[in-house]
Amino acid sequence: MNKVIVMLRKAPYGSVYTAEAFRTIMGIAVFEMEICVIFMDDGVYALLKDQNPEKLDMKPLGDGFPMLKDFNVSKFVVHDESLSERGLTTDDLVLEVELANSNQIKDLMNDYGKVLPF
Amino acid sequence: MKIGVMILEGPYQHQAVDSAYLFIKAAIARGHEIAGIFLYTDGVNNINKFINPPGERNISKRLSELGESGIDIVACTACSKFRGMRPDLAVEHVRQSGLGSLAEFLRAADRFLTFGD
Repeated sequence: MNKVIVMLRKAPYGSVYTAEAFRTIMGIAVFEMEICVIFMDDGVYALLKDQNPEKLDMKPLGDGFPMLKDFNVSKFVVHDESLSERGLTTDDLVLEVELANSNQIKDLMNDYGKVLPF
Repeated sequence: MKIGVMILEGPYQHQAVDSAYLFIKAAIARGHEIAGIFLYTDGVNNINKFINPPGERNISKRLSELGESGIDIVACTACSKFRGMRPDLAVEHVRQSGLGSLAEFLRAADRFLTFGD
């Protein structure tokens, strides 16, 4: 099985990257790809509960991530420092995630070999 | 080694596509093979055949030449629709297709590089 990390590092709104990362995950998951999704820096905001971006003409992105289990995507990793720096905890997030420090994320990147950064 | 490439930014605003082009030329010169180039988000604008920069590098022509040399260059169909990049606006030796091509390039490649902002 092919393995790839999709890494989200940007804020969910204000640019298209998070929405496209989400679309990429769905788009390649159907081709027998083992996917690990990592949220770092402002990327952690993508998982916040109760997003309400309608006034920006954007659809809420957070609600989509729990759905990815239906596409056999179930490995979600959040960079612990990025979360705590923003005053957030896992209780603020829409789904259960694994917390990882920078070294553990480095190991994941080594293990998966290929990374799609958004 | 087989190398896959994804480009996320359009022409001239960001360096991404230029870096990708120079990287690919250097990789080929070193004997590596390119598994494919996937143009995603604004990257689909890099193959507009009407790009015409007076006295400067022509990005779409450069990509077309890479395509002519046998590299599979795919622009995301959905991203192209969002940006009005109709297939008849594209240079020769490139094609439009979906994320399946990205999956295919990922599978074929030993290493995969993304050029973005």
